Amino acid sequence: MDAAVPLAGAHDTHHHGPPEANRSSRVDPQLLGMLLFIISEIMVFAAFFTAYFFIRIVGENEWPARGTELPVLVAGVNTAILLSSSLTLHWAQTSVKNGNRFGLKAGMFTTFLLGATFLLVQVNEYVHIGFSPADHAQGSVFYGLTGLHGAHVFIGLLLLGVVTVRSFRGHFSKEEHRGLEIPGIYWHFVDVMWIVVYTTIYII
Amino acid sequence: MGEERRGSRNSRTVVVEMFVIGTVASLAGIALGSAIEWFPAQASSQAGPIDTLWDVLVICSVPIFVGVVIVVVYAALLFRQRPGEENLDGPPIHGNTTIEIVWTVLPALLLVVLCVYAYVVLLDIEQKPAQAATPEMKIDVYGEQFAWTFKYAGANGKPFTTTQLYLPQDRSVKFDVHSKDVIHDFWVPAFRMKIDAVPGITTAYRVTPTKLGIYPVVCAELCGLGHAYMRQTARVLPTDAFDTWLEKESAEDNPPAGGKPVAGGATGATGGGGSDAAEGDAG
Amino acid sequence: MPVTLRQPGWSRASASMVLGLAFSYALSIGARAILGYDPLLDGESVMRIALISVPFFFLVGLGCFSYWFRWASGAPTVPEDHSGHGAKSWKSYFYPNTDHKVIGIQYVVTSFFFMFVGGLLAMLIRAELAAPGRQFVDSNAYNGLFSVHASLLIFLFIIPVFAGLANYVLPLMIGAPDMAFPRLNALSYWLLPVAGTMMMLSFFAPGGSFATGWTAYATLSNTAPLGQEFFTIGVQFAGASSIATALNFLVTIITMRAPGMSFFRMPLLVWANFSTSLLVVIATPFVAASQFFVLLDRSLGFNFFDHGQGGDVLMYQHVFWFYSHPAVYIMMLPGFGIVSEILAVKSRKPVFGYRMMAFSLLAIVALGFTVWAHHMFVSGMQTWIRVPMMVTTAIIAVPTGIKIFSWLATMWKGVLKLDTPMLFTMGFLTMFVLGGISGVMLAMIPLTIHVSDTYFIVAHIHYVLFGGSLFTIFAGVYFWFPKMTGRMYDEKLGKLHFWLTFIFFNATFAPMHVIGVQGMPRRVADYAEQFASWNLVISLAAFGTGISSLVFAYNMVASWRGGPRAESNPWRSLTLEWQVSSPPPIFNFDEIPTVVGGPYEYGVPGAVHGVFGGSPTTAGPGRRGPATTAGAPSA
Repeated sequence: MDAAVPLAGAHDTHHHGPPEANRSSRVDPQLLGMLLFIISEIMVFAAFFTAYFFIRIVGENEWPARGTELPVLVAGVNTAILLSSSLTLHWAQTSVKNGNRFGLKAGMFTTFLLGATFLLVQVNEYVHIGFSPADHAQGSVFYGLTGLHGAHVFIGLLLLGVVTVRSFRGHFSKEEHRGLEIPGIYWHFVDVMWIVVYTTIYII
Repeated sequence: MGEERRGSRNSRTVVVEMFVIGTVASLAGIALGSAIEWFPAQASSQAGPIDTLWDVLVICSVPIFVGVVIVVVYAALLFRQRPGEENLDGPPIHGNTTIEIVWTVLPALLLVVLCVYAYVVLLDIEQKPAQAATPEMKIDVYGEQFAWTFKYAGANGKPFTTTQLYLPQDRSVKFDVHSKDVIHDFWVPAFRMKIDAVPGITTAYRVTPTKLGIYPVVCAELCGLGHAYMRQTARVLPTDAFDTWLEKESAEDNPPAGGKPVAGGATGATGGGGSDAAEGDAG
Repeated sequence: MPVTLRQPGWSRASASMVLGLAFSYALSIGARAILGYDPLLDGESVMRIALISVPFFFLVGLGCFSYWFRWASGAPTVPEDHSGHGAKSWKSYFYPNTDHKVIGIQYVVTSFFFMFVGGLLAMLIRAELAAPGRQFVDSNAYNGLFSVHASLLIFLFIIPVFAGLANYVLPLMIGAPDMAFPRLNALSYWLLPVAGTMMMLSFFAPGGSFATGWTAYATLSNTAPLGQEFFTIGVQFAGASSIATALNFLVTIITMRAPGMSFFRMPLLVWANFSTSLLVVIATPFVAASQFFVLLDRSLGFNFFDHGQGGDVLMYQHVFWFYSHPAVYIMMLPGFGIVSEILAVKSRKPVFGYRMMAFSLLAIVALGFTVWAHHMFVSGMQTWIRVPMMVTTAIIAVPTGIKIFSWLATMWKGVLKLDTPMLFTMGFLTMFVLGGISGVMLAMIPLTIHVSDTYFIVAHIHYVLFGGSLFTIFAGVYFWFPKMTGRMYDEKLGKLHFWLTFIFFNATFAPMHVIGVQGMPRRVADYAEQFASWNLVISLAAFGTGISSLVFAYNMVASWRGGPRAESNPWRSLTLEWQVSSPPPIFNFDEIPTVVGGPYEYGVPGAVHGVFGGSPTTAGPGRRGPATTAGAPSA
């Protein structure tokens, strides 16, 4: 009720803002928060890999399921596409730090296009792969893991889309580019995760 | 250490007193723990070791609990704030390395000993009996919503299924437990052993019934609407009576394995429970 | 458009939810049209989409995301006028607020609301079980009662109420003006009513509420009626809330401690929440995933748990318990922190073996990840996993034992103020030891083979979560009530509450050990005649426990409305939250204090913990020696 009405007391003076918090760590809070969030994300993937482990290794099911084939080559090219998007994103990030607006815009635009291409190829793969998650547990694991990753790519693309539009509108500067840094960390994580997914699902 | 507060007593007397009361209370607690009839009838050779393990655990646990309670109660009695002590502080004791090591190492040792003992018991209750005179009997147990069926190998190579669990006395029985729908758990409390019936895999345990009688069979894993009513009975018969029963059942024309059992046939099921189970199958 | 619909608030939230419902219909019908399903309108599919999307529409309407949307789009964000910070009247508590103190109270009050709902369900359960046979509800409703009871009390009471208490006191304790991410904090709170409402609404779902227990084992859960999805999806929101808060705590603790507040000068409550948050961030995603699997199996025909198609039923239990065993520590470690705070202050002594207390928390965190399969001794998993899990489970009792013994040593030779928080703390010490002992018994595989899934387990979990967690929650609420409300609670009613709870709690749950070992399985609406008399006793005692909670409710409401004003430091505590007014000023501190010593230096002459602008804050004229009647401590 009156929980926030300060009582008359030693500290009841007029405030216009909070005192500056002490920085007890050199780590940037936003960066630390993002890293912890990524740890959580890794654990979500870990749980899906647990399903993979139980169904493929413990359950001794054939991989891929009998009569199905995984398009290793196409997915490999797609992997290259996604990885190069990390490079172009890095280019955009370096450019904004150096005040190179062309690099920022071109880098963001290419990154977005590469990411969207990856997603399209993935959807195309779903359409032509010839089995559905309802067919067998291997299909469930395949769609589960690639779908989980695809959802992350989709969210990453939304973030990158906003960043791209903003960079064309003249936002971000040498000094203030956090709106680019934080989605960037997320995108790099999504890319690294794909390498793990690709290796376990397609190659091994 | 340090000066004593008014009203506090000689610390050695207190410790002796606590020790005496603690010993008496522990003995009383152990006596009470032994007096309570914890377990249902010991109807299998597996029951004995498990019940003994329980007794050992009770004997180890009671003094620990009593000790903690005595320290709490004595602290409340001896050191509670009395009138006039509103601004008094206790002695600034920050710790004591020796005592901290002691109460880390001692419980760890006790736990390791208990684990070793439990492991020995585990090997004991799960081992295959060596006796060759009467070969081990195998019964397939099928759990489904909401009844158990039992498949016997039969007297002369004629397997049959039944909802009645009959067992011979003093002969090891291996239950292979299967599920037809969701997870159940096959448990005869008098035998102490239980295992989940899991769709897709076969689980197993063995018991040697030792005591004649009729014992409840229950489902111990939530399996849906009729879970509470999934209760049947196990009968332990003398060997010859069992053989007679087995031959009679084998001779009859029984439905093949997996035949639909009578859902309401579970003992103790009220009429309502049976109809629930019938109309509201969660699947 | 009327102004009220454009501004964040309840009107916009309501309109937004209608929009969300329309969106769910459109998405479901559209998707079915594209994929060629017939009929186009499928109620279950719409309901499923609505359960996921409507909460987001609600949160957007309420304004939980407004700032981020503006920030991400690069639009000029509202300048930091702190308009959404601090409560101006009781109405402020019904809107997103960035003040950790407001959020803390929102958390605590909301979770206690869910405690009363969950407790009411427990009363219904005991009414049904008072006699064998059917009393009031059919077995489907009964299964729903205990499932919702457990889910509400675990996911919407114990876990969030600890987060709420810590939300209030933790930034104050470490000398921070707020949490690191105040808006994320507000969002974490608002996810809770969403999850709780969803679970309660499941009673109105076709086919009844979810009835598969809070564990929701596959394959029962992926064949259950639609009500199951209120759990499956509700848990996602509760889990997201947990993760966001934990992340917030970790960043706050790591980056925002006052100068001089080294890790080994942090109060143990901060340590406890640090450890808990680590568990949450690492483990909670697993429960989210386990429910994703169930949802995918149910809605899109996936085969994670369909053994006929190569799925693995036991995989659910491994994934689920990899979260839900650490969840037991998530529900206990913050209580350990509360107990350490209260015992030191109320015994007027430093916490015995402070460093070992902190390290044992971390040991529990590490070991907590290695014991999950002890819930699966009879599940039919690979038998070789059992023995290693038995050993780790037994070993985890060692750090817990260190804590118990250190608390006892903290009390010894102190000056014990036996008021309500202290009584609950001492009640916790004795009852939690019982829960711990039955826990060690349950580590022993041969015994667990007999007693798993019986009332022995019900007794054990209630001794740990009621005698353990809930007692520390009550202790903490009484202890910080003056700080949070600026009022004193009624001590007589508090003591009455303790003794009623303590007696009836034991009368309720102690007999369950006996009937469990005798062979009464848990989660049953009906039981054999032989258990009838004990069950009647238990039911009567349970009603007594229920009544005792009304004493608590009355005490809280009446004292908050008209209790005597609280001093800033009624307990003569050294920690920082007591060095500011009760309730604290809107930004906690005029200036950030400097920490110059440990948090529990009671009895050390001249000891100080924090310094404000050069003036040391002592806990009043505390000292050793013959007692005098000195005046009240200066604020």
